[in-house]
Amino acid sequence: MATVAPGVPTGPYHAVLDHIHPEPTSFIRKYIFSIDAKVIGMQYFITGAIFFVIAGLLAEIIRTQLLSPHGAILSAATYNSVYSMHGSAMVWFVVIPLLTGAFGNFVMPMQIGARDVAFPWLNLVAFWLFPVAGVILFSSFLVGAPDAGWTEYPPISLQGPLGTNLWCIAVFLIGISSTMTGINFMVTIYKMRAPGMTFTRMPLFVWGQFATTPLLFIATTALGAALAALFIERVFGVPFYDPKRGGSPVLWQHMFWFYSHPAVYIMIIPGFGIISEVLPTFARKPIFGYKMIAFSSVAISLLSFSVWAHHMFTSGMVPWLQLPFMIITMVIAIPTGVKIFSWMATLWGGSINWKTPALYATGFLITFTYGGLTGFFLAAVPADYHEHGTYFVVAHFHYVLYGGSIMSMFAGIYYWWPKMTGRMYNEKLGQLQFWLTFIGFNATFTPMHWLGLLGMPRRVATYDPQFQFWNQFASISSYVMALGTVLFFYILFDSLRNGKKAGPNPWGARTLEWMVSSPPPYYNFKKIPAVLAAPYDFGNPLPYLGLDAAPGATEATPTSASHPVPTY
Amino acid sequence: MAVSVAVHGHGPDDHGGHDDDIIYQETRDMRLMGFVLFLVSDVVLFSSYIFAYIYLRNSIQPTWPPIVDGHQLPRLDTAFAAFNSVVLFGSGVTMHFALESWKHANKPRFNTFMWLTIFLGLGFLGGQGYEYAHAQIGGWSGNIFGASFFTLTGMHGIHVFLGVCFLFALWIQTQRGVYTEHRFFGLTAGTLYWHFVDVIWVVLFFLFYLW
Repeated sequence: MATVAPGVPTGPYHAVLDHIHPEPTSFIRKYIFSIDAKVIGMQYFITGAIFFVIAGLLAEIIRTQLLSPHGAILSAATYNSVYSMHGSAMVWFVVIPLLTGAFGNFVMPMQIGARDVAFPWLNLVAFWLFPVAGVILFSSFLVGAPDAGWTEYPPISLQGPLGTNLWCIAVFLIGISSTMTGINFMVTIYKMRAPGMTFTRMPLFVWGQFATTPLLFIATTALGAALAALFIERVFGVPFYDPKRGGSPVLWQHMFWFYSHPAVYIMIIPGFGIISEVLPTFARKPIFGYKMIAFSSVAISLLSFSVWAHHMFTSGMVPWLQLPFMIITMVIAIPTGVKIFSWMATLWGGSINWKTPALYATGFLITFTYGGLTGFFLAAVPADYHEHGTYFVVAHFHYVLYGGSIMSMFAGIYYWWPKMTGRMYNEKLGQLQFWLTFIGFNATFTPMHWLGLLGMPRRVATYDPQFQFWNQFASISSYVMALGTVLFFYILFDSLRNGKKAGPNPWGARTLEWMVSSPPPYYNFKKIPAVLAAPYDFGNPLPYLGLDAAPGATEATPTSASHPVPTY
Repeated sequence: MAVSVAVHGHGPDDHGGHDDDIIYQETRDMRLMGFVLFLVSDVVLFSSYIFAYIYLRNSIQPTWPPIVDGHQLPRLDTAFAAFNSVVLFGSGVTMHFALESWKHANKPRFNTFMWLTIFLGLGFLGGQGYEYAHAQIGGWSGNIFGASFFTLTGMHGIHVFLGVCFLFALWIQTQRGVYTEHRFFGLTAGTLYWHFVDVIWVVLFFLFYLW
C-alpha cells in the first residue's frame, strides 16, 4: 500500500515505520497482553497508580506514628518495615515505572511519529515483570518486611527478616524491566523517528526519555549485581558485605549508589521533559533555549555516573576522594540551572493560560528549585557531616521526588489525560487539587528542614519531645496532601463518566501526538508524517507534511509540498 | 537536493522483493543495536563484580590470597587455566570461521566449525568444572577469595553455558532453513555474544591468575 504522500522524501527507516500489523481483536491480546505501546503505557499508569496508593498509605501511617514523640500507633520494628517499604515502593514501583514505562510508552512513540516501539514484545515482557515484582515486594509483609530502609545497608540488611530476600527478588525483577525499557527506548528514538525529524527537531520530552535510557540500561545492571550479591550472601552465606568475614558494608554502598544516584536522574529527567512540553504550550511561546534544554539533559545524564559517593561522605571514605565527588556533584547544578532559567524565560512575557498542567509546571519550578538548593547543601562535605542521616535529607529528597518527579507527573497526567481518554477533566476541581497538593506538600516537608538542622534523626519511631510541634504540623499537613490525592482520583473517574469530549488537540499544542484523534487510533498515523522543524514555533504553520486529516485541529494543516524540503 | 518518491510497505501482492529487503535491513539494524546495548548492560554486570573483587582484595592488602585460620590460601592453578583459556579463545576463532563460511554459502564447512565451537565451549566448561573441584581456596562461601572467584567465574560459566545453548539453537535454525546467505542476523548475534564471552574471560584471567 502506498502510504507516503507524494513529494515527501522518506527517511532512512521509513520502511519499518510504514509496516502495519492488523489490530488484535480478542480482549486478551487487546487489553491484557497487548504489544501496543499505548496500551502498555496505560497498563503502567494503572499499575503504578495502585502502588502509589499503597505506598502513599504507608506514608500516612508514618506521619500518623510521628504525631506523638513516643510513637502513636506502631512498634519500632513495624515502623522500620513501613518506612522501608514506603521508600522502596515509591522509588522502584511508582516513580521510575511511571516516568519511563507509562509516559514513555504512551507519549514517546507518537511524538517521534512512530507506530510503536522498536521491540514491542520486549515491551510486553518488561511491563508484566512490573506487577509481578510489585506483588512479590508487598507479599514480604507476610513473612516480615525488610526493615533497613529503602537502601538496605548491610550489615543490618544481612540480619533483616525473611522479606528482605523477597525485596531483593522484587527489585531485581523491576531492574530487569527497567533495563529492557531502556534498551527498547534508545533503539526506538535512535532509529524510528519520522522522516525529517533530526535530533534537534525532536520534542523535548523525547530528549528527556533519550537522555534517561543509558541510565536505565547501564546503571540498573549495577544494582542487579549488588542485589544478587546481597541475596546470595543472605541465602548461601557467601561473604561480600559482612565485615566479620572479610566483606565490606561500604562495598554495598558503592554498588548501590552507583545505581541509585543515576536513578534519581531516571526519576527526574523525563519529568524535565514533561515540563518542557507543558510550559511552551500554556505560555503560547516557543520554548526558550531548545538546544540548551536538550543538551543539558544529556549532560546531567553523563555527569550522574560520577557523583555516587556523595551519599557516603560519612561512611568512612578517604578524604582526598571527597573533594572531587563534592565538586562534580555541584557541577550538576549548572545544567540543571540552565534548564530552570530556560523555563523561566519561556514563561517570561508569555500569555500564560493557567490551566492545571501549567499550575503544576510552575509549582514544579518552585519546589524543584528549592529541593535542588538543599541538595547543594548536602553535597558540601562539611555541611553534610551535620545534615547526613537527619530529617534535612528527608526534606531534601521529598522536595526533589515529590516536588520534582510527582509534580511533573501530575502536570503530565492532566496534560495528556484528554489524549489518553478523549475526555476533559473538571478544570475547577483540577485547580483545587493543585492547591491542596501544593500547600499540603510544602507544609509537610518545609518544617523537616528545621527538624533536621536541629538534629532530629531520620528513620526513628520515637523522637525527642522538643520536635513535637513541627512533627504534628507536618503530619496534619500530610493529611491535606492525602485529601488532594483522593480528589485527584475522583477527578479522573469523574472525567471518565462526565467529561466533555476533548477533540484531538484541546490545548493547541504542536507536537505530533496532538495531530491524531483522542484517544489515538491503534496505529497512531495512517501515513507517517514528515517533519520540517522543531515543534515549538507557536504562531507559525505546523511543521509537518502528510498529516492524517485531524478533524478539529486548531491550526491549519499544510498540505502542499511547497515547504522547504527537510534535510536528513 | 534529490527528492526521491519512494513507496514502501508490503501487502498481499508483495512476496519478498526489494521492499521486503529494506524492511529486513532496517529490522536487522534495530535488532543489532538492541543486542549491542544488551551486551553493554551485561558488561556493567561483570564490571560491578570485578569492582567488588578489586575492592575486597585491596581492603585486606598486602596479603593476597587471604590468610584463613593462620594459613595463607594457595594461588590458583595458572597453567591449567591458561590451557583452558586457549580452548575458549580457540572456540572464538572457530566461531568466526563458522560465520564466514555461512556468508560464503559453504554449509558443510559451517556445520563443522559450528560443532567445533560448541564442543570447545563444552570443553571449557568441563575444564572449569575440573578447576572448581581442585581449587583449594575454601569454597564459595568460605572467604572473600572464594566468594569473588566462584561468583565471577561462575557467572561467566553461566554465560558460556547459555552461549552453548544459543549456538545449538542457532544450528537447529540453520538446519530448518531459517537463515539464508543474506539474512542471518541470529548468527551475527550469536557470534557477537560468543566473542563477548571471550573478551570477558581475558579480563577475568588477568585478574584471577596473573595478578
